[in-house]
Amino acid sequence: MPEPLTLAGFRADLAEFLHQQPDEVDLEENPLYAGLDSLRITTLAARWRDAGADVSFLELAERTSFAQWWQLLSERQAGAAHADA
Amino acid sequence: MPTPDAHGERHPLLAAQEGIWTGQQLDLDSPAYNTAEYVQVHGPVDSAAFEEALRHTVAEVEALNVRFVVDGHGQPWQLSVPGIDWQPYIADLTINADPHRAALDWMAHDMARPVDLEHDPVFGHALLRTAPDQFLWYHRVHHIALDGFGLSLVAQRVAQVYTALVEGAPLGDSGFGTLESVRQEERAYRESKRFVVDRTYWTQRFADRPAVAGLAEGQALPARDFLRRITDLDPGDVEALHSVARELSVSWSDVVLAATAAYIQRATGAPEIVLSLPAMGRLGSVSLRVPSMVRNILPLRIVVNEQDSLRDLAVRVSGEMRAGLPHQRYRYEQLRRDLKLVGGKRRLSGPGVNIMPFEYDLRFAGHRSTVHNVSAGPVDDLAVNVYDRAEGSGLRIAVDANPDLYDEAELAAHQQGLLGLLREAVAAPAQVIGGHRPVTVLDGGPLPLPARPVLGLIADHAARRGGATAVEHGGQSITYAELFGSARHLARRLAAQSVGPGALVAVALPRGIDAVTAILGVLLSGAAYCPLDPGAPESRRATLLEDAEPALILTSSTYAARFPDRAVLLIDAPDTDAQAPASASGDPGDPAYVIYTSGSTGRPKGVEISHGALATFVTGATHRYGLRREDRVLQFAPLHFDASVEEIFLTLCVGATLVVRTAEMTESVPQLLQACDRLRISVLDLPTAYWHELAYAVSTGAAALPTEVRTVIIGGEAALPERVGRWRESVGPSVQLFNTYGPTEATVVATVAALHDPALSPGDVPIGVPLPGMRAAVIGDELYLVGDALALGYRGDRPQDDTRFAPLSQLPGSPRGYRTGDLVRLGDDGQLRFVGRADDEFKISGHRVQPAEVETVLLTHPRIREAAVVGQVLPDGTRRLAAHVVAEHPAPAAAQVREHLRATLPAAMVPSAVEFTDRLPRTGSGKIDRNALSTAVNAADSVENVTTTAPTTGSSLEQAITGIWEQILGAEHISPHDDFFDLGAQSLQAIQVANRLGVELAREVRVAWLFQHPTASELARHLEHHQDAPATTPGLPDTVLADAVLDEDIAPAAPADTRSAPRRILLTGATGFVGSHLLAELLTATDAEIICPVRATSPAEAADRIRRALTDQQLPLPADPQRITALPADLARPHLGLGPARFAELAKSCDVIFHNAATVSIMRDYASLRAANTESTRELLRMASVRSVPLHLVSTLSVAPPRGHSPEVPEAFLPPHPGLVYGYQQSKWASERLLEQAAERGLPVTLHRLGRVVGAPDTGFVNERDFLWSVLQSGIPAGILPDLFEAEVWTPVDYVARAVVRLSLTAPPSGTVFNHAPVPPLRLADLYDWVQEYGYAVKRLPLAQWRTELPRSADVAATTGAFFDSWTGSGDAESSDAEPDLGLGRVRADNVLRGLEGSGISCPLADRALVFRYLDHCVKTGTLPDPAAREV
Repeated sequence: MPEPLTLAGFRADLAEFLHQQPDEVDLEENPLYAGLDSLRITTLAARWRDAGADVSFLELAERTSFAQWWQLLSERQAGAAHADA
Repeated sequence: MPTPDAHGERHPLLAAQEGIWTGQQLDLDSPAYNTAEYVQVHGPVDSAAFEEALRHTVAEVEALNVRFVVDGHGQPWQLSVPGIDWQPYIADLTINADPHRAALDWMAHDMARPVDLEHDPVFGHALLRTAPDQFLWYHRVHHIALDGFGLSLVAQRVAQVYTALVEGAPLGDSGFGTLESVRQEERAYRESKRFVVDRTYWTQRFADRPAVAGLAEGQALPARDFLRRITDLDPGDVEALHSVARELSVSWSDVVLAATAAYIQRATGAPEIVLSLPAMGRLGSVSLRVPSMVRNILPLRIVVNEQDSLRDLAVRVSGEMRAGLPHQRYRYEQLRRDLKLVGGKRRLSGPGVNIMPFEYDLRFAGHRSTVHNVSAGPVDDLAVNVYDRAEGSGLRIAVDANPDLYDEAELAAHQQGLLGLLREAVAAPAQVIGGHRPVTVLDGGPLPLPARPVLGLIADHAARRGGATAVEHGGQSITYAELFGSARHLARRLAAQSVGPGALVAVALPRGIDAVTAILGVLLSGAAYCPLDPGAPESRRATLLEDAEPALILTSSTYAARFPDRAVLLIDAPDTDAQAPASASGDPGDPAYVIYTSGSTGRPKGVEISHGALATFVTGATHRYGLRREDRVLQFAPLHFDASVEEIFLTLCVGATLVVRTAEMTESVPQLLQACDRLRISVLDLPTAYWHELAYAVSTGAAALPTEVRTVIIGGEAALPERVGRWRESVGPSVQLFNTYGPTEATVVATVAALHDPALSPGDVPIGVPLPGMRAAVIGDELYLVGDALALGYRGDRPQDDTRFAPLSQLPGSPRGYRTGDLVRLGDDGQLRFVGRADDEFKISGHRVQPAEVETVLLTHPRIREAAVVGQVLPDGTRRLAAHVVAEHPAPAAAQVREHLRATLPAAMVPSAVEFTDRLPRTGSGKIDRNALSTAVNAADSVENVTTTAPTTGSSLEQAITGIWEQILGAEHISPHDDFFDLGAQSLQAIQVANRLGVELAREVRVAWLFQHPTASELARHLEHHQDAPATTPGLPDTVLADAVLDEDIAPAAPADTRSAPRRILLTGATGFVGSHLLAELLTATDAEIICPVRATSPAEAADRIRRALTDQQLPLPADPQRITALPADLARPHLGLGPARFAELAKSCDVIFHNAATVSIMRDYASLRAANTESTRELLRMASVRSVPLHLVSTLSVAPPRGHSPEVPEAFLPPHPGLVYGYQQSKWASERLLEQAAERGLPVTLHRLGRVVGAPDTGFVNERDFLWSVLQSGIPAGILPDLFEAEVWTPVDYVARAVVRLSLTAPPSGTVFNHAPVPPLRLADLYDWVQEYGYAVKRLPLAQWRTELPRSADVAATTGAFFDSWTGSGDAESSDAEPDLGLGRVRADNVLRGLEGSGISCPLADRALVFRYLDHCVKTGTLPDPAAREV
């Protein structure tokens, strides 16, 4: 079973793609202005689906901040507790 | 809330659509913008339900229910037509042998159909059954409506609707947003701050407009189709790719981009690659849910260093992506406009890499499917499309190529090369991937002898031939023994001052015996010498001394006061000072001298040369120049220039005599040469700039080269081809002329070319090959030098970037190399050519321009004496080239100068400003001060310069073009030579101009032509001649080339005797229009018997034909009938059909031959003309060679290359050129070629090229068989005349006959070519005006239209019509590009004009009165209707 996605894990995933430290990730940032592209978002979506959050590329791509992403992911976590949110 | 577009509403296009629309306008018949994919459904499909699903979905997609219309201003609009009428194609292909193949063929056929955006649906659908349970759904859409993502949205909805229909479930809502919401978003973006931020990012990132490397030579507009090769990367490769990406925390696409950049870098050697990246452009946008066209392209710059690994590159790519992606909404088309990179050959980015992660897993009522791309749109250059296939089944890579740039084999090679590199690099990501730039090494070979130290060689001469003269100066001389003795003495004095090995002694003496002694003395002391110009300004002297820190200054009492605070030894002091034994010296590693050069940073650099380097140079150069002990060598150079090292050491080491020049000798060139003569100089070593003057003086006879001079060595700057040409012509190959090249850092000279080599073609000035002991490495285009003659380095501490010495890792063993900063080109003959300084290179419109190249061409203009070209950046950021020119009076117009350049250089290299000046600014060292020139302008006067130096307004057609551009661009005073796109024109505006111009000129003007010919003058020329870009150069048929070789046995058998008055003259073609006049003129001008071979069955018939020809032209018959002998003959047959006996008899008795006969037919092919036109020349040359009698060949100006190929028609034989397309031209050209070889062999032959020969003004007769008259005779009755050409030379036949006979009989030099074009050409426009004034109502039409409108009933019309049909290959009025180009460049006729000077023979101008006389004649003979009668 995959590890459920936590906010720390979410930050770490973003940090990897943005070449930043996890604590540098600004959740209010627009994914577009952060320098992501469709391939990277597709890859992230696949990674988070593997972690049990059923999100599509399109749903991520149309949101305009990482905070909105996390909100969506939190909602889609199958039965996940929001312990560390 | 935006609402869907209502019926009939029209909307402006989205920016991305505008880009596509513009592209389509360039070639309306191109289907390239059709994009398509097919979905293979693995399972049964219900065709009826599928069709319903298609219709339902299409109705939901606004972007498909449209048409595109253009308003009166050329502005495109999208018109909404909901419920558009369309039909799907549904077919069962299983009856075919190979149903899948049949399906693909059907798709290919459908894809090849261009879409008419105004009338056709922009899309199409097909459902093709290829097996009982296998269906292919094909979906095509014009790129203007949907991009790849939009297509996928439609496909998903079709699958959804079909499934619902089959399952009986509700169809649900599409979820599509409106197009209006996308338009609103785009408008908002354009008003936003973000737009400004994005624009700033891109314009700054590309401010320097990097050169764009492609894998193919040249560029092309997008083609109508593309080549494609598909490979699937297997999962192992894909896993390796992912693993490298993970390890580097980059995306796998970054790795693919890195490998692609590395591949292009390897192939091109370009240091930086710019890729084109299609970007979805939808993040955070409403368009994520709107099928539409919003895709953008990002230009991606990637520097590739030679030591880079895949890791380095992938990380660099990733960084560049992260920097650029936030700005991805800024339109690519807009950026090109911002950067003025629109049109012509300007490029913003190169090959494309398209990463498509949208593998969609479509289910059709539960059945799986696979998606296959058919076309992603047009391919500009090369495109790498990467499809991520679902479920880790690997990557599919489709490499697409523009077939105008690549063929299948090239594409295959690139695809394999790219994939090979990707696999290799992914397997070893830490290994160097950056390819070496292409390296070519030229080796000067080993030294002929071991390099012996110079002091040892000189000591030998002193010991063995001590009495031989070593140095002479102004009447004084010194022997080797004396020189060496004095030098040794000086060395001991120096040693007493503690000067020895490791020390540097400044020698501040003028040229002379003392200076030579001083130099040797310093070397014998073990120290190195550093020559200082005693006359240099104080500050310069101080700077050098501060840097050099010499132990001592060796000078004379004259100059001692100039060195107040330094240790000084006076060479002329009373010999009282102390002496000490000098150290033995001259170890190869010890410095021998230090010479200062001006550094690029302004601070002089002291170059330290070792004894080993000096010995290597002396050994190699002595051998190459062939210097001998007997030589007397002029010492010309000041000592602080390293040319003095060459003069002094080469001379003394070989035991020859050095003759030091005195100041008076250089007061003038004749004075120098007289002195050289007196002094019996045999070797001259001169700065090239001085030699330029000398060569000029010698070539004009102002000065004579002394007979004893056997070798001239030049160097220091690029030799002018024009001067080299003069020298070669006047001096010939008997005097050796060595062109030398070398930086001080490689010891005086590194490469040498023998310019006296007769094998060099005119205008070619190589710098040759390296001296023995040296190697030249050409890396990229830059020259590096390797070998024992390299300097030790620079004296003193210097910043790292100031030194250009470094190991060359590209060569085996990484030897030490010197980077010259000079760009060179290696010729096929293995010799180097200097191209220019790398520093001077200037980027403009994406081209890298080397000013020296432009200067070289400028200097070929006969009135330009000096030229300097610099790149300038104006305050508004516009980059341009400016030429500064010193011209002879009267100076040519700026436009003429540019025209001259345009004949040989691409448009980007033609300076937009040409400025005339009296002299060019120069630096202290006499070089052109480029900095001063490139900063000289400011915006205000630059604009003025552009306009004032280009005052030409051009032809009326050019004016029409510039006029429209002025309206569209809101600009004033656009010159015919201004590049529209340099002026800021945008594609859309180009389209508007094409439309308006088409209306104004009442003819087709294709948008693409504006891009291909971006100035009014170029466009006008294209429009006048319908001339296609010279894409291919058709070679001459082999038979023509084979026929053009003169048989070896045709050579003068005896010395030519051309002086005595001829008694028998052979004239061919005497019955023709020109021939009968030639006959009449020969009868008048000579007393000879004229033999006329004529096609006839009997002598009587032959004689009769001659008589008729003369009387028909109202020419007098000779009083003495014996003057003409008519012989039945057939020139197309061996021995001219005369039989061997008669042929031999004529060969023995004829004193002159005029070969005027030719079968003139533009319709016939070469094979049918060669016998009569080419072989007859061969036969007649054979006849002439028996007694070496003169042969004069009458030819035609139509053998000349069209203006597009050559701006001028020279009075010289012509090399083969692509303009030789018609059999008649080819046969006459081959004839000329035979004559040329006969001339080379010494036969007294001349050539007469005629233009259009018209009737004699006295008679007003018209040559009925002439092409132009047949056009007039068919066109005038129909009231229409074609636009054939701009102008052509008209010469009346009586004048031509007199001129040809006169020029031939005055015994001109063998091989003289006469172009009979002594008067300005007649403009066709004038001719047609006069026809009109004569009373014929005629309309002028473009040729294609004229042809179609010309009634075919009249027989003349039938002939001309058929002629044009044959010309263009078909009766197809569309193919106007194939129309003949009849225009020639300026026809030189100097030989004709000179030859006729004082003869009283002059050519009347064809004017209105003359044309009226011709028309009178036509009316009289009934070939044209009476205009008066016609009026009635």
